[in-house]
Amino acid sequence: MSPLYTALLCTFLPLAAALVLVLVSPLRRAGLAAGLFSVATALIAFGGAVTLLLERWSGAATPVRETVRWLPHAGLGGGAHARAVIELGVQIDGISATMLVVVTAVAACVQIFSLGYMAGEPKPDFGRYFTWQSLFLFSMNSLVVAPNLLQLFLGWELVGLVSYLLIGYWWSKPSAARAAMKAFWMTKLADMGLILALLVLFVDTGSFDWTVTTSAAGAVTLLLFFAVMGKSAQFPLHVWLPDAMEGPTPVSALLHAATMVAAGVFLVVRAFPLFEQAPTTGLVMAYVGAFTALFAAVIAVVQTDIKKVLAYSTCSQLGYMVAALGAGSQVGGFFHLTTHACFKALLFLAAGSIIHGVHSNELSHMGGLWSRMRVTSVAFLVGALALAGVPGLAGFFSKDLILEHVLERGLWAPLGALLVAAFLTAFYMGRVTLVALFGRPSAHAEHAHEGGVSLLAPLVVLAVPAAGVGWLGAKLSGLYAAPVHFHLSPVGMVATGLALAGLGLAYWMFGAPQGGGRLRAAFAPIGRLARSGAVNARFAWGYGVLGGVSSIFAWFDRYVIDGLMNGLGYATLALGARLRGLQTGRAQDYVYVLVAAMLGVGAYGAFWSR
Amino acid sequence: MGLTGYLLLAAALFSLGVFGVVTRRNAIGVLASVELMANAVNLNLVAFSRHHAGPTGQVFALFSIALTVAEVVVGLALVLLLFRAKGDVRIELASELKD
Amino acid sequence: MSGEQVGFWVVALAILGAGRQVVTSRNLVHTVLWLAVTLANTAVAFVMLEATFLAAVQVLLYTGGVLTLMLFGVMLTTRDTGFVDVRSPLHRGFAGGVLAAAVMALVSASILRTPLPEARVTAPTTEALGASFLTEHVLAFEALSLLLLSAVIGAVVIARRRDAGDPREERGPAIRPRAPRAAGGAVRLGAPEAE
Repeated sequence: MSPLYTALLCTFLPLAAALVLVLVSPLRRAGLAAGLFSVATALIAFGGAVTLLLERWSGAATPVRETVRWLPHAGLGGGAHARAVIELGVQIDGISATMLVVVTAVAACVQIFSLGYMAGEPKPDFGRYFTWQSLFLFSMNSLVVAPNLLQLFLGWELVGLVSYLLIGYWWSKPSAARAAMKAFWMTKLADMGLILALLVLFVDTGSFDWTVTTSAAGAVTLLLFFAVMGKSAQFPLHVWLPDAMEGPTPVSALLHAATMVAAGVFLVVRAFPLFEQAPTTGLVMAYVGAFTALFAAVIAVVQTDIKKVLAYSTCSQLGYMVAALGAGSQVGGFFHLTTHACFKALLFLAAGSIIHGVHSNELSHMGGLWSRMRVTSVAFLVGALALAGVPGLAGFFSKDLILEHVLERGLWAPLGALLVAAFLTAFYMGRVTLVALFGRPSAHAEHAHEGGVSLLAPLVVLAVPAAGVGWLGAKLSGLYAAPVHFHLSPVGMVATGLALAGLGLAYWMFGAPQGGGRLRAAFAPIGRLARSGAVNARFAWGYGVLGGVSSIFAWFDRYVIDGLMNGLGYATLALGARLRGLQTGRAQDYVYVLVAAMLGVGAYGAFWSR
Repeated sequence: MGLTGYLLLAAALFSLGVFGVVTRRNAIGVLASVELMANAVNLNLVAFSRHHAGPTGQVFALFSIALTVAEVVVGLALVLLLFRAKGDVRIELASELKD
Repeated sequence: MSGEQVGFWVVALAILGAGRQVVTSRNLVHTVLWLAVTLANTAVAFVMLEATFLAAVQVLLYTGGVLTLMLFGVMLTTRDTGFVDVRSPLHRGFAGGVLAAAVMALVSASILRTPLPEARVTAPTTEALGASFLTEHVLAFEALSLLLLSAVIGAVVIARRRDAGDPREERGPAIRPRAPRAAGGAVRLGAPEAE
């Protein structure tokens, strides 16, 4: 099969699955059968994506770009628009092939996981869930293979819609319905940036391609970045992401950790030629990204809900990616996206497995799971260490690459923020791991047990790339840029040292006297160092300050940032209530306004426009 | 009489229709006003057909008449439904668009 | 003033006069009958434009079919109120007049500013019309027949009385009867004096 048809298969097979599930309601209502059907199509799409990647891997294939004319030029005035043609199609190159594999692999794992995780749901709801999962896969893939910004925008809106649907999957729960609304409006607000960017770009160049040279690069990229801030949860538009955890945990793994939130980063990676023309936007991105990385990491330290920790962690890691792209490192941003997708999906699924076993999200309800849920615990540990940046695991490589680039550009403040964030990341992951897996078992955790094979298999499968994908960095980056060969840089060593220190601090704070014998022995030297008298008091004082700062940040986030956003919402509502008086509901009044407006346009066209 | 006269006549008829549509309070009255507007358009089409070669103008007028008939049928069905739901056909009773 | 011009003025005055009655008459039966007068005079205008086939269609379809239907509508829905339409409040009538005048001003200004061909060409015969329908416009013609069919079915579906035994009734009617609201608010521009 030619790459074009493989790509079309990857994209449209999930759409076909979603349509079948929508139209054939007996299948949808059959529950498990609907799930298996959806999983089968996801696996086929995954196979297709792997084929595409392997073709590129062997170095034989050149980038494929096939388009059809969709709309002829709009004929707006003359100049650049005269030749404008709006195209639809696919573009398969190293970036989209890699992203396709990431998306379909995580989606397949998540869907299989959901078979077990959602098993208790009523059958029609189960079918509905998988319909949306299939729809998501279609939306995300059509975003990934898009050859221009307009088509990417279509996929972008579709994933936003599916995100809304899936966050609000338990729609009868008020908090879930509210979270879904919030995510939707927040990202819609940001999407205004994308559509304005498209307009500016089109007016300036008559094209939606990201390869064009434009004189308005600054405006276009800043507007694009605004959209990215919403989608990829950058400060201060990040407030929807923690709330989005109201959705089922597999949804959080797929949409709100691995793929959909990464769409913003993917957009920048895609439109990198545009961003290269606007150095100022790069600076803004570096600072916003680094600040988000630090800010979210600080908040994650005091969260008590395991999903909230992971959600803020996702914010923080997305900040890393944005900062990397802002520092002009396409490879760094995209590579971190790849590795992050692997280990964060793993972490979320493992957390889902834990929640399934413990029936609670609260860290204090867990503890001692190492002995009760061994497979899940190992998977979670792998993910946590990969995220923390322990040498050899995935996160280590990509984080090092990013830091090196930020240093190279001489962005000292972002570099500092990112280094502190690296320390905090290791610390809060260490905290969660130690409390949940090795802490004193709570009453809830006494009877915790592993779920079925559909819960465990995806964990095992995802643990492999989470541990190993970092080693493929040179090859993966070689698919679309000059291969980046890994070498441990000084700044990387500092970061790794900070990460290990963070883990050590966590161990010293939360290291449990019971459980995890061998593992504890392995960590013992760090723990002993941390415990040794001299540093003891200072550490305690340090943690007090850290905890205080973290709580303040969390409070600030919850009430000030969130409140500001809500205030904006209420202001809009109030304005709407005022304007509502105009809306009488009478068709005649509407006709009146309609005719009057038509008259205005007609009069303008007939008398003033010449 | 030239084309201009017929066009002005049609314009006047159309304006009368607009007036009726926004002021009649009975749904059937509104429907009748819509008929006036459609009729004005047909008059335009036929007048243009008379001053251009070819049957296209009249063909369109015929299409337009048939469409208007369909519109009246559906419109009256809606009026009946409104009557059944509210017991009256004053058009301001159908203000569900507000909520 | 030629005879044709006299004819035009007579027809034009008849059309506009009857049209005025259509939009202002309080009695709905009168409204529909005045509509018949307007439409019949338009048919006369069609004859003057040598569109005889259209004139026939106009009389048959409109004056015959549509008006009968509308009369039925009036009889069915206003039997309790005595065919009387409630009067619009003055400001609404004024606003409507302004709008209509604006429409008239814009459209006639456009007409007068546009150079129009005043010379007549030979009117198409009914035969040419039929040939055009079945050759050049056959697709639209067939689509139209489909539209009429769906309009008929749609009208039946919309207006069908749902009996108690109808299972669809369980889901509730499309428009729920609602208790009349308390007076006031921006909705009611005029007091419903007919109640």
